[in-house]
Amino acid sequence: MAYSVLIVDDSPVMRSFIRRVMRLSGFELGECWEASNGEEALSELKEHAVDVILTDINMPKMNGEEFLRRLEEMGTLRSVPTLVISTDATKNRILRMLSLGADGYMTKPFSPESLREELERVLGARNASRA
Amino acid sequence: MPHELEHLEAAGQRDAGQEAEFTATLGRLAGEVLETMFFAEAVAAECEHGWLPDAVAVRVDFEGSHCGEMWLALTPAAIPSIASAFLGLEPEETGEEQSAQVILELANILCGAVLSSLWPESRLLLDPPKSTAWECPDEGVWHCCLALDEGALAISIRLSGVKELA
Amino acid sequence: MRSVVVGISDCKISGDSEELLITYALGSCIAVILYDPIVKVGGLLHYMLPDSSIDRNKAQQNPFMFADTGIPRLLEIVRARGAQPGRMVVRLAGGAQVMDSQGTFQIGKRNYLAARKILWKAGILIASEAVGGEVSRTTRLEMSSGRMWVREGAGTDCELAGRGVSAKAPQKAPPKMMEGKV
Repeated sequence: MAYSVLIVDDSPVMRSFIRRVMRLSGFELGECWEASNGEEALSELKEHAVDVILTDINMPKMNGEEFLRRLEEMGTLRSVPTLVISTDATKNRILRMLSLGADGYMTKPFSPESLREELERVLGARNASRA
Repeated sequence: MPHELEHLEAAGQRDAGQEAEFTATLGRLAGEVLETMFFAEAVAAECEHGWLPDAVAVRVDFEGSHCGEMWLALTPAAIPSIASAFLGLEPEETGEEQSAQVILELANILCGAVLSSLWPESRLLLDPPKSTAWECPDEGVWHCCLALDEGALAISIRLSGVKELA
Repeated sequence: MRSVVVGISDCKISGDSEELLITYALGSCIAVILYDPIVKVGGLLHYMLPDSSIDRNKAQQNPFMFADTGIPRLLEIVRARGAQPGRMVVRLAGGAQVMDSQGTFQIGKRNYLAARKILWKAGILIASEAVGGEVSRTTRLEMSSGRMWVREGAGTDCELAGRGVSAKAPQKAPPKMMEGKV
């Protein structure tokens, strides 16, 4: 299946890195939407349905934690796999984001291969549970 | 004495052992970050700071349970290689604006990695990284220098306060 | 099955399902093992050093001595034989920390880093790897199947899967069991 993805990170080069990994990982990529904060991401989601969300945490205007909370309230997390990608590797943050409903948590720095592996795990788990 | 000030006092009285451990962690994590996502080798080097006034520098302010700032400086000659490697491009394909964004992201990743490693139970809030001149004080900081293939890298962390988690 | 030995600073390409590409004595050197399972074309490059700028003349005479000339050349040759980047299974072996002629231990790590950088630039993710440590390795690629084995020191052969965990495990949270789609 072709995956449409939403990448949320205030760094344009980080979004580019993630986009490149997804493309090279062998996922059939449909549309790739991008946002530089949670507020922009919510606007994108009003316009487009996506199959997977990747989000940073530390962003201006609306951070990733607040964004995830909104997604949870909207019921989006039940249907859309969401992976957190953050430089914050503190225990409390990781636990909080997973408790909110994130499917996975990647800490920066990560190799391209590690992100591919995590995407396969997150998307594979969702695909398996749909079967 | 107010609780926060007691912690500030304690932070100021770092012992030599803790200092060495923190500095070694700084160097190790910088090496890991550069290798993992920027495909660059960085090795610990003697500090020589003549290049700092001409360096490309970034500052990241942080707060939460620990407050302060991290400073990162790179020799300009080292930047095209690091930026292009991150992006998967040749140096001549990488524009100045893109390179600047890559260095900001390097600083962001490094700051988060260092603080998370030093204080894994803490609450961490990073401000967006800012390009700046190197204005980090020499005193009261954890600091290390690393040698890159095409230049040098310097990192300093200055802690201004430590708060108890609620 | 016919063994084709790849020496140090050497590279062999094959499309013959009767062949087995094999290389020995991977200390600090890196072997880049590449296989396209559709056209059954593959190659094994065994390089010694990361960067050809230290000796451009040598690199001209033998591009397979260096990562930055050898890997692009390997990719060029296999593409000419019909292999496609999107299908290639690329695996790495070697990069051990052994004493080199200068008495330093870093060359294995530098060789590994060079391979990662060049493959990322070429748009190829590494499928699996057996790298690092302090042990010499032998590796072989079976052309009929694309299966690859690595032997470490005097140990037994271990198959390196087409997809596997790298030497450095990623930092990640434990898997979370999720409910199915509503």
